[in-house]
Amino acid sequence: MAKATRPGDSGFDALLERLRPECDRIIAQYEHKRSALLPIMHLFQEHEGFVSPEAMAAAARMLDLTPAEVESTVSFYTLLYRKPVGRYMLQVCRGLSCVLNGADEFMAHCRTRLGIGHLETTDDGTFSYEEVECLAACDRAPCMQVNLEFFYDLTPERFDQMLDQMRNGVFEVPPLAQTRRPERTWLESPQAEIATGRRTRGAERVPDPDDPGGIGDRSGLIMLDRILARDQAFRGRTRERLVREDPQALERVVED
Amino acid sequence: MPVVKVLTAGIGEADLREIATYEARGGYRQWKRAVRELSPADVLKAVDASGLRGRGGAGFPTGRKWQFLPASDAPRYLVCNCDEAEPGTFKDHMLLEENPHAVLEGILLGAYGIASHHAFIYIRGEFKRGYQIFSRALEQARAVGYVGTNVLGTGYDLEVTVHRGAGAYICGEETGLLNSLEGKRGEPRLKPPFPAVAGLYGMPTVVNNVETLAYIVPILERGPEWFASVGTERSKGYKIVSVSGHVQRPGNYEVPMGTPVRELVEIAGGLRPGRTLKAIQPGGGSSACIFEEHLDLPYDYESMAKAGSMLGSGAFVVFDDTTDFVKAAHNLVRFFAHESCGQCTPCREGGHWLERVLERFVHGRGLPGDLEMLHRVSGSITGLNLCALGDSIEPFLKSVLRRFPEQFEARVIGRNGVAAR
Repeated sequence: MAKATRPGDSGFDALLERLRPECDRIIAQYEHKRSALLPIMHLFQEHEGFVSPEAMAAAARMLDLTPAEVESTVSFYTLLYRKPVGRYMLQVCRGLSCVLNGADEFMAHCRTRLGIGHLETTDDGTFSYEEVECLAACDRAPCMQVNLEFFYDLTPERFDQMLDQMRNGVFEVPPLAQTRRPERTWLESPQAEIATGRRTRGAERVPDPDDPGGIGDRSGLIMLDRILARDQAFRGRTRERLVREDPQALERVVED
Repeated sequence: MPVVKVLTAGIGEADLREIATYEARGGYRQWKRAVRELSPADVLKAVDASGLRGRGGAGFPTGRKWQFLPASDAPRYLVCNCDEAEPGTFKDHMLLEENPHAVLEGILLGAYGIASHHAFIYIRGEFKRGYQIFSRALEQARAVGYVGTNVLGTGYDLEVTVHRGAGAYICGEETGLLNSLEGKRGEPRLKPPFPAVAGLYGMPTVVNNVETLAYIVPILERGPEWFASVGTERSKGYKIVSVSGHVQRPGNYEVPMGTPVRELVEIAGGLRPGRTLKAIQPGGGSSACIFEEHLDLPYDYESMAKAGSMLGSGAFVVFDDTTDFVKAAHNLVRFFAHESCGQCTPCREGGHWLERVLERFVHGRGLPGDLEMLHRVSGSITGLNLCALGDSIEPFLKSVLRRFPEQFEARVIGRNGVAAR
C-alpha cells in the first residue's frame, strides 16, 4: 500500500507540487476560478483515491475559498469520496429499466459474492460496492460501472469472472489509487444513513427471512419498522428516534 | 417503419470520433459556412423557423429561448447540458460517445447563433469515457482552427470548455447546472431571473440539451423548411427516442415527431412472446404512464400532454403484465427522494414520506390508511418547489395508483389475506 499522506507529510506536499501546473491550467479555463473546484477535486481523487482533507484545504487556498465552502460543495456530489474507498469501485445501476430486466437479482448476487452491502467496502480494501441511480444505459441492462468504465448486459457469471480478474490483477480497468486504508464505508455518518434507510449493515448481517427480495439494500429499515410496529414500548416513535434512543435495537432484532 | 438516420447516421458504420471520418461525411461544413458567410442572426432565424424545441425535457422552443437574451455587449454564454440522468434516457450518452463531432459542431453553431465567445459542455460525472472522447474531438477541431481565437481566420473567437459533473441528477436542471459549473453545490436557483438574463457568472446564458444543439447542424444543412415539414403541427422534426423496459430490442431510435406510440413499441421489437402491454412511461422517470388506449396517439409534445403525461426527454419505458407497479413506483419515488437537493420542504420531506410508505407496500406491510396517505401526500408536492424535481416525484405514482389500485390494496395488512402481525 502506498505511503499515507497526512497534514505536514511531505507526501501530500510533493503531490500538490506535481499537480500544481495542471491545476493552474484548469483554473485558466474559467472566467471565475471557483469553477475549477470540481475538476481539481476530480484530479486529486484520481491521485489519492479519494478527496482528502489536505486536498480540500489545498483547493480552498488555490481558489480563495474557505475550507467550509469547499467541503460543503464537495459533500453535495456522490462521485467525490471524502474517505478512502476500495481499489475497485463497483457501481451497479438500480434504475427502473435495469430493474425491469433483472437488476434486482443481479444486485443480490453481487452482494452475496462480495459479502458486503450497499455503500460498503470489503475488509481487504479491494472492493467498494454501491447501487446507483440510472446510468443512462437502459438498453443494455443490467449495467454497472467499474471505476467509472461501463459494463453492459451483465450476468452473474460475468460478474464472477470480473471479480476473479480484479482479484488476480488482470482486469481490463486499472485499479484506483489507494493512499490510505478504507474503512467499512466511505460515508461520513453511517448511523444517520441507516436511520434514513440509505444504508444497510453488512449483507451477511441481515438475514431477513421475510424479505421478499428485490430491494435488498433496505433491510435495516424494514427491521426498524418491525420493531416500531410490534414493540409496545416503542409505539409512536420515529425510526430516527428509535436509533437515537436505542442504537442497539437493530442488532438485537437481527440476532433474535 | 419510420426509423430515420439524421443524428444517428453513420453510427455503427463508421468511426465518427475521427474528425476525418466526420468531415468526409459532410461534417463541419455548416460551421465553416456559418462562421464565414452567415451572421449570428441568420443562424438564429433558421433555428427559429425550423420549429426546433428543447430535447432535454421541457420542450421549450429553442429559437425563442435564444431571443430572450437581452441585447448588450456583456459576455454571454452557451452551455450544453450533457448531464443526462433522467431514468430511462440514454440518447445523449450515445451521441457523446459515438458522434462527438456532431455534438461539438452543434455547440459551435449554437454559440455563434447567440453571438457567444465561450461555450461550455457540462458532462455527467459518470460519463468518464464520453468526457475523454469529447475532449479528444475538441482537440482535433482546435488543431484545424475550428475552435479558439480567430476561428478560420474570420476574426471570430470561440472557446469551448469541457466540464465534468460529479454525480447529481439535479445538475441537469439548468440553474442547478449553472451553480455546479460555478463550483458550487448544484442547487437550483429561484427564477426569475431566468438564465437568459442572469445565468453563468450572472451573465446572459442559454442552456441547451445535447440533442437540441446537434440538430442545428442538419437544420442548417437541409434548411429549416426541411425540419419543419416533418412532424406534427407544433412538434417539428425528428426525435431520438430511448426505448427500454419490456421490449425485445431496446435502443435509441430516431423517428419523426408524431410517430404513433404503437409503432415505437413495434420498432423496438415489440413485447416478449406471450406478454401483454400494461403501461408505457413516455417521457422518462418524471412522466405519468399512458396505457393501451393511448397506443394510437402520435408521439409528440401535445398528444402526450393531452394524455396526462409528457414527452419529456424521449425516454420511452415499456411495462408488460409481469410488472410489479408497487415496486416500480417505489423505485422511481426513491430515485427522486435520493436526488432531491433538499432546498424545498415539500420535495425533500414529501419524497421521503412517499418512499417510506411505499417501502411498507413493497414488503406487503401497508398500513390501513396508507393508501389515503399516498394520495394525500402525492398531491401536496407539485408546484411548491423551486424547480421541477419536486413536480416529478408523483406523476408515475399517481398514474399507476389510479390504474392498478388492486396491486396496492393487496399489500395492505389485514386485506386480501395479508396477515396482520
